[in-house]
Amino acid sequence: MSASVKLEYVSYIGNVLLALITGLAIGAIIISWGGYDPISAYRGLFETSLNIADPYYLAMTLSYATPLMLTAATFAISARAGVFNIGAEGQVFMGALGAVVVASLKLPDQLYLPMALLLGILMGALWGLIAGLFKVLRNVNEVVVTIMLNWIAYWIVEYARIYVYYDRYRPEKTISMPRSGVLPVLVPGSELSASFIIALIVTIIIYLVLWRTRLGYSIRVVGIGLKTAKYAGINPGLTMLYVFIIGGMISGLAGALEICGRPPTYAITTGASNIAGLGFAGISVSLLGLNHPIFIIPASIIIGALNAGSRGMQIRAGVPLEMVKAVQGLIVIALAVPGFTYMLRKWRIRKALRGETGD
Amino acid sequence: MKNTGIAKSTALILLLVVIVAVVGVVIYMSLTQPTPAQTKTSPTTPSPTTTLPTTGAATTPAGKTAIAVVYDIGGRGDLSFNDMAYLGGNRAAREFGLELKEVQSTTEADYLPNLRTLAREGKYLVIIAVGFLMTDAITQVADEFPNQLFAIIDGYVEKPNVLSVLFKEHEGSALVGALAAMVARYYNYSAVGIVLGMEIPVLYKFEAGYYWGVRYGEKIYNEKTGVNASPLRIIYTYTGAFNDPARGKTATQAQLGMGAGVVYNVAGATGLGIFEAVEEYCKSQGKTQGPPFAIGVDADQDWIKPGFIIASMMKRVDVGVYEAVRRALDYYAGKISTYGGVLELGLKEGGVGVSTLDDLDTFLKIAIQAGRKDINRDEIYAKVKAMRDSLPSWIWDAVKNLEDQLKNNPEAVQVYGLTFADIASRVPYSSESIQYVRSTLKVG
Repeated sequence: MSASVKLEYVSYIGNVLLALITGLAIGAIIISWGGYDPISAYRGLFETSLNIADPYYLAMTLSYATPLMLTAATFAISARAGVFNIGAEGQVFMGALGAVVVASLKLPDQLYLPMALLLGILMGALWGLIAGLFKVLRNVNEVVVTIMLNWIAYWIVEYARIYVYYDRYRPEKTISMPRSGVLPVLVPGSELSASFIIALIVTIIIYLVLWRTRLGYSIRVVGIGLKTAKYAGINPGLTMLYVFIIGGMISGLAGALEICGRPPTYAITTGASNIAGLGFAGISVSLLGLNHPIFIIPASIIIGALNAGSRGMQIRAGVPLEMVKAVQGLIVIALAVPGFTYMLRKWRIRKALRGETGD
Repeated sequence: MKNTGIAKSTALILLLVVIVAVVGVVIYMSLTQPTPAQTKTSPTTPSPTTTLPTTGAATTPAGKTAIAVVYDIGGRGDLSFNDMAYLGGNRAAREFGLELKEVQSTTEADYLPNLRTLAREGKYLVIIAVGFLMTDAITQVADEFPNQLFAIIDGYVEKPNVLSVLFKEHEGSALVGALAAMVARYYNYSAVGIVLGMEIPVLYKFEAGYYWGVRYGEKIYNEKTGVNASPLRIIYTYTGAFNDPARGKTATQAQLGMGAGVVYNVAGATGLGIFEAVEEYCKSQGKTQGPPFAIGVDADQDWIKPGFIIASMMKRVDVGVYEAVRRALDYYAGKISTYGGVLELGLKEGGVGVSTLDDLDTFLKIAIQAGRKDINRDEIYAKVKAMRDSLPSWIWDAVKNLEDQLKNNPEAVQVYGLTFADIASRVPYSSESIQYVRSTLKVG
């Protein structure tokens, strides 16, 4: 890491803090406008999220951070290749469905977990591949394709949940993962399971792939410009396809981990509500983390803390959920602003560079 | 310097965010009527239940000064279970001098953290989970916090510290069955229908009660009018899903085509298709209200398609919540030795019933209070009232009469050789026992 890059990161962290303070301040105005006490609301938020004194809430924060870390990594690796891939949502759905399919099979006990994660990863990869093929072979805009695939995935999962893999005795949910296929809980009495560790390792692997492998180099060069890549002897189409497939694998894993690693139901529930929104939340996490796998880790913990802390705001400060969500949405938007400007600026520089090379 | 460049554009966009937020808040505030949520005014409770002597805060155990209600993802303003739970929690809090804590859930992944966080606070007399979707979460926390009392509405959890509040749906279904039969006969239809979700044993008691009610309603209609028409055909359809309005619609269209004058919804969200089918059918004939009619279920659904839903079989979640709080207080006061178990609420306890205009009004009020702006209270109320008034009042009286009979003497009336006590004694139903009821009451 060169000195100028370091300086840039330091200034970025300064910007994030500024954004955080702005977000909290506007949030406070809204809270007091609604007739509630902003101090006790924010105290509730922190006491039930990043509370060092109470491991339960820390664990809850990390458990909420787990899927976001992975869906953010999906977005990040695509953004590094200059692709705006917002298909993580649908890939999470497909991954979760893969795990449920495995849960419905009769298997030896020790096979459930590896098979569920594997099928989840494969189905996520398939969903990424479809989007990638559209992009690479037909040059269809990836935003359009991934949005549409998200909906297709949602309805496939809903159909499967209602008609195929439903629990015979409790038709409001799918078949649950058998206990032998469930990941162990790390902090007793909390929601934090070993899926957090898996997510952490995968995110670090993505970092290594991006900066320590030939593929990662290709991805970053493609991100600078297609002509540049071709000039360097890189096949941009193939590289982008890899990005979509890897992205799909990560988000598919996120979906499967939600089934194998989140107590108490270990199934897809009504309206797929327990796995919805994770993909989109990952985008803001990735922006906050500058599309950098290592920065995504703290970024996902910050967003996870907001999720966990919404309880404290409701229960300890009596702020209704609608207002909690509005305030948190504001904080998230404010937090994503510096990363977004950073990304825009980078793209502008690249465009300028491409202009010089006649791209 | 490039870094100041970032800072500048960041500041600019942040300023934009601030402006958008402020504008948004101003618009939001100007739209919302002044309803400070902290001092939620308690609407008049429509509850017919007998008011029991107030226990008072004096008997609450030390430190336990509040009750908590955890809503499912439908949230407040659903005009259904969650709003009813609020009504009941609010009444209990007021009468017993307790604080009411309401907690909403964004996704189903929030149920367990919400319940655990509440249980850890330790100040809640009882934590009430609204709806069977929280079954797994309650099962888990009940083990982790054996000294905390819980209740689950419309779900069954077998733990010593969990009260499972269930409803005698067969009783309510009998009432709407009688109403359905009389309405169908009054408008010269030859059949009545029921559209159900998946074929699971829980639904059999709706079926059995409804069939019995239909045969009873027919009998009363014959006695009242002296006309001895041939018995109504009863059509039932299992759609195979609780979440598929399209299937509900097709099934209902088929039943209407076979001459059904009333279709009873026992299908969850699939039922929205039932209402749609009935409305479309009527509109295609140029009618602005039924017949044919649908019958709502679980909550007062009369507002969904006003003028096309003759009434609803309500599970009184408010009564369930209130009774759970009372039971928790009794347990702490030493009046009862065990808290957990099943509390089955029927007509006698005010736990099930046929929706009334007053119920409708209460729901519309609290839904608007909870922030629903898409609801035109006066218009809906007027439509539903006009629809109800178009029936002769003796039909409504006959339903009321049946209610009194079921409460006091379910053995009294026999139709097709079955008394209502026979229907009730077969709960929980198996596929054999529902077959018996179907064939005895000439269903299908």
